Amino acid sequence: MWEQQVAFWVIAVAMAGAAIGVVRANNVVHAALFLIVVFAGSAAQYILLLAEFVAWVQVLIYIGAIIVLFLFGVMLTRAPMREERGKLDNSQRLASAVVALFLFGVLAVFLIDAFGGTELRFRDSMVEVGSAASVGDSIFRQFVIPFEVVSMLLLAALVGAVALARRD
Amino acid sequence: MGTPYFDYHALAPVIVLAAVALLALVVDFVWKDGGRRAVPQIAGIGMLLALIPVFTLAADGETRVMFGGAFVVDNYALAFAGFFLIVGYVAVLLSYDYIDEGDYYRGEYYVLLLTSVLGMVVLASARDLITIFVAIETVTLPTFVLAGWRKHDIRSNEAAIKYFIIGVLSSAVMLYGMSLIFGLSNSTLLSEIGSVAGGDNPALFAVAIFLTLAGFAFKVSAVPFHFWAPDTYQGAPLPVTAFLSVASKAAGFVAMLSVVALGFFASPNSWQPVIWVLAAASIVVGNLAALRQTDVVRMLAYSSVAQGGFILVPLAVSGDNDAARAGFQGVLVYILIYAAMNMGAFACVIANARRTRSTEIQSFSGLGRSNPAMAVVFTVFLFSLAGIPPFAGWFAKFVMFRAVLDAGTTAAVVLGVLAAVFSVVAFFYYGTVIRRMWFHAAVDLGDTGSPRVPGALVAAMAITTTVVVVIGVYPQLFAKIGDLAFRAT
Repeated sequence: MWEQQVAFWVIAVAMAGAAIGVVRANNVVHAALFLIVVFAGSAAQYILLLAEFVAWVQVLIYIGAIIVLFLFGVMLTRAPMREERGKLDNSQRLASAVVALFLFGVLAVFLIDAFGGTELRFRDSMVEVGSAASVGDSIFRQFVIPFEVVSMLLLAALVGAVALARRD
Repeated sequence: MGTPYFDYHALAPVIVLAAVALLALVVDFVWKDGGRRAVPQIAGIGMLLALIPVFTLAADGETRVMFGGAFVVDNYALAFAGFFLIVGYVAVLLSYDYIDEGDYYRGEYYVLLLTSVLGMVVLASARDLITIFVAIETVTLPTFVLAGWRKHDIRSNEAAIKYFIIGVLSSAVMLYGMSLIFGLSNSTLLSEIGSVAGGDNPALFAVAIFLTLAGFAFKVSAVPFHFWAPDTYQGAPLPVTAFLSVASKAAGFVAMLSVVALGFFASPNSWQPVIWVLAAASIVVGNLAALRQTDVVRMLAYSSVAQGGFILVPLAVSGDNDAARAGFQGVLVYILIYAAMNMGAFACVIANARRTRSTEIQSFSGLGRSNPAMAVVFTVFLFSLAGIPPFAGWFAKFVMFRAVLDAGTTAAVVLGVLAAVFSVVAFFYYGTVIRRMWFHAAVDLGDTGSPRVPGALVAAMAITTTVVVVIGVYPQLFAKIGDLAFRAT
């Protein structure tokens, strides 16, 4: 299983670096491009975990649709794309860094305590679980109510977005 | 695997709401001029139509379980579903003239309102984490937009953005907690989470519970997660504020109650202290901050934070099996009563804001002389919020203190004493408004609106006043609902 370990760490480090890039970028477009790396990394992680269908959904929806929407949004609103260095800094960044590090520490300690040393063993039969067929089965059997409610939610989001954005 | 079992009778309230929301959207789109009048009517009638299956299901009395226990229609679910639909109807009444007279989109407003209520009705029946999460998002997402409905007012924009960012952040925290819970118990069903109770990893389970509850605490604006509430309440259109302070808050409490009662109950050491701190902090900070407000909406915002603390008190002391029943009932009864009195109070604020174009507390000066009927009604709601008999608020407080006494632990008694002390503090700020209305001469505010109180608002006040007075005088009726709701669980 060492290949998977190596692949995991390579992807994880790349994702963490790109995520820092997202918040550090002074240019909105650069931030969006960094975000592509993060999303692609998580898609790759899903593949490592045999969740094939979810991985492709991640690529299609997040990279294919959401990032493109971001870029269109930046283009259409003609908002300034670039800010001067330091202008985006928040005066409370020290406090938030302390909170973030504290949370990270707490979660890391407890997660390692709970799952440290646990090894994932993949079998061929698990490939079936991540397939489109079984995901579709669980969406339309066990989770059909949340699925239908989400469609109302998305409709409301659409209606609301149009109502707020429309020029009148 | 065959097709899943669908009980269309049990799903009928949800289906009716979805159909009505779509109908409203189509009518608004197709029938341009007539739609303006028709859509609010459709929304109001739709809420009442969805009540019919709630009553037939209640008459039937059978507990209906679907999807392996993920969606359950029992007395508890029906009590809250009916409650949410009535609140939704009152919200339509409050909105009618406000939205009609301002320069707003009407059709879309009611579609969003209906979708939000649909989320609440689903939430009442949801018994697994995914359904709960989706339902909560369906409740809150339309309200983000509604808070910013006064597009050209910078305060409304601020309200929407603050609420949106905090709401999304809290959802993320909640979802992270839920994902850890799923990782530990290998199921999203609350019943199975309850039986596993973290398994070999109680410490991580406690962290997961903490994160999930923190997410809910944002939704119910419990201290220290309340900072968005006053600004959002003040900036949003007033009917939306009423809806936010009652309905979406109640939805957060229902989610909290379901998750704690069915999922986390077996490990009280991990959720009880969290809720204890939230309750105590909300009572202290909410009441003290409300004392200093000069704007009635901000005052009601802090008062709703404080009332949220009171609602959490029974939950915070319900950790062991003997106290649980009284505790859960206390939460349910308090939420229902709080909704009636707060909705009513906002109806009066909306009516007064029409009259004076202001929400400052001093704009209520002399209301006792210029419109005694409304002043009496508002006084009733404020008395009720303060917990003075014979109005419903006293019964809510009574149920809360009974839960504290049933529990009888030191922590419960300390919380009970805090609640008692700050209930008295609350008299001061509710009393300020009452004094203004009856003992001060009217202040000239220059630009004044129309003194007439429109019919829809009168209807809303009538409904809420009736509830507040009837429950206050004859609380047994209401206690029965609480009893019924927890017979099954």
